Amino acid sequence: MQRLRLGLAPYLLILPSFIYLAVFFAWPMGRSLQLAFVRDSQILPVLSEPQEDADVVGRLPMQIEVAVVDRLKTEELLPNGRTRPVYWFKVVGEAENGDTIEGWVHQKNLFIKSRTESDTARVVSGEGAKEWTLDYIERMVNDYRFQEALKTTLLLIVLILPIQFVLAITMALVLQSRLRGNTLFLYIYAIPLGISDLAAGLVWVTIFTQRGYLNTFLQQLGLIDQPYIFLSADRQHWMIVAIVLAEVWRATSIVMVIVVSGLQAIPHEYLEAGELFGANLWQRLRHIILPLLKPSLQVALILRTILAFQVFAVVVAITGGRVLTVLAYETYRWYDPGDSGFNNPNMAAAYAGFIMLISLAFALVYLRTVRTQEEAARE
Amino acid sequence: MTTRALDPVQRRALRQRQLRRAGTYALATLIALWILLPIWLIGTMAFSTSRDIYAFPKQIAPIPFSTETMEFFLNQQGIMSATRNSILVALLTLVLSTLIATPAGYAISRYFFIGRDAFRLSVLAVRAFPIVILAVPLAVTFIEWGMYDRVYSVALMHTALTLPTTILVVSSVFTSVPREFEEAAKVFGCNAWQAFMRVVLPLVLPGIAASAIFTFVMSWNEVFAATLLTIRNRTLPALILYQLNKSSLQFQYAGGFFMLVPSLIFIFFIRRYLFNMWGQITK
Repeated sequence: MQRLRLGLAPYLLILPSFIYLAVFFAWPMGRSLQLAFVRDSQILPVLSEPQEDADVVGRLPMQIEVAVVDRLKTEELLPNGRTRPVYWFKVVGEAENGDTIEGWVHQKNLFIKSRTESDTARVVSGEGAKEWTLDYIERMVNDYRFQEALKTTLLLIVLILPIQFVLAITMALVLQSRLRGNTLFLYIYAIPLGISDLAAGLVWVTIFTQRGYLNTFLQQLGLIDQPYIFLSADRQHWMIVAIVLAEVWRATSIVMVIVVSGLQAIPHEYLEAGELFGANLWQRLRHIILPLLKPSLQVALILRTILAFQVFAVVVAITGGRVLTVLAYETYRWYDPGDSGFNNPNMAAAYAGFIMLISLAFALVYLRTVRTQEEAARE
Repeated sequence: MTTRALDPVQRRALRQRQLRRAGTYALATLIALWILLPIWLIGTMAFSTSRDIYAFPKQIAPIPFSTETMEFFLNQQGIMSATRNSILVALLTLVLSTLIATPAGYAISRYFFIGRDAFRLSVLAVRAFPIVILAVPLAVTFIEWGMYDRVYSVALMHTALTLPTTILVVSSVFTSVPREFEEAAKVFGCNAWQAFMRVVLPLVLPGIAASAIFTFVMSWNEVFAATLLTIRNRTLPALILYQLNKSSLQFQYAGGFFMLVPSLIFIFFIRRYLFNMWGQITK
């Protein structure tokens, strides 16, 4: 099918995509790690002479007390032609490594009660410096909401994936049996592929809300007299049920499409042979279909797991994000500059980095799976 | 129609087959209902009067039919401009993504070059990656560059999200056109460019259009990155998500239904290509 043709053409053709992914994928990924691990801090350079361009004799950290041993009053020319008094202070303080540093600093970097009399001051500003830190990671791991979010995310994966796979395989087998009206069924089964997680969440709100369809149904059956409040803070298990149903409803189609493709690759002879020897559906499923579907199921499983770590809008729509939380929502909450957020991009990047790390691990497994499958297919 | 007389064994086998067939139909219909019923219910709510929305028990069909709720939603402050933003973002994403991905898809399917496998596998890995999470560092960077809260910056983010899928789909579409067609065109005196434009392009156009539509839907649906990258120029999902906690049921039902409609239409047009889109893992 292909032949070796060396030349620039293919490289020129992939160049735009390559550049785009470098700029909008690889680079932000690096930036994210930088946000999570590097702190913008300040450090105050102490000078040998009371002049801006003097040598630096040492650096002092922020917010420490220093002793003022000498002061020098100078005049600074203002734009309007007048002058104002400006002080330089000779201070003695302890650097971060324990050394004692003595030298001159400008008044703008110190908080001092009285410029002419006080003999102590506090370091309040300096120049920008970047330093590596694990503070954000530590703070994230120790945050109880992180643990809650991780727990909920994992719980959802454990609950959703098995249901999804059983349902997806069933859907694929139904489509495979070539009923009349097959194309209609295919279209209907594929509809959720185009439904956003937010819309799916809202759809299931209509069902689970207090005056919703589930309560209507239960009342019609005579099981309840009063509408039961499913989505309330002290009934988290019902919220989990609603999220699981919404996610199964929305995201099973992707698995189904992968499984259908896998089914189509199974030679008909195998299934016919099975039927000929009198294997019933369950036996054929167990001994022929599922083993041959394994590659597709592996791929679907990995992709679904990665997607499950991003689950976000469904949870927000059903729980409001306050009662139950997931990793992606915590990322959003730390970033959000609005009323409900913390406006802390560093912490948000720490969460994003955590999700990326997990996904990266799964993506590598995915690549290895695909490669082994391709090699097996070639042989 | 004449039927041959069947002996009892054959008749039993036939009956069993018919029974199985009926069972499969029942199952197929049940699954279809599982998908359609919730859509019907939110549609019912979206076209009920506000009194019916708060009524209990709920009606299962919009009687009396009313556009009051939809109108209420569409007249909310910002919804129209957010819808415009969403369409603009999705169109920009569609154009960018298709323009950048088509050459790469062609290269993967038609050339064998050093690094081809590495490139294809990295595209696969990027597709599996949770790209929306990168909205956090991108938002910080966009603020520094003065690109924050712009429609086109959301489109840039969404293009990163859809590009890998588009590359893979386009390459599978090109692979489905035999290269002999191209060679035949060259034999008849076309150069490479003419062969591509006159022979290959007409054949791949439907597939590329389908992938472009899918790109549109992905961008229209995306909420996480859009929420992080915008404040005043929100896209529709971002605006709805932002107002969720302080909004009425009318707003939520009509909004949910409104976001859902394009997917109903678009998936119908591209249903034949869906397996190219997600099924393809090798080749």
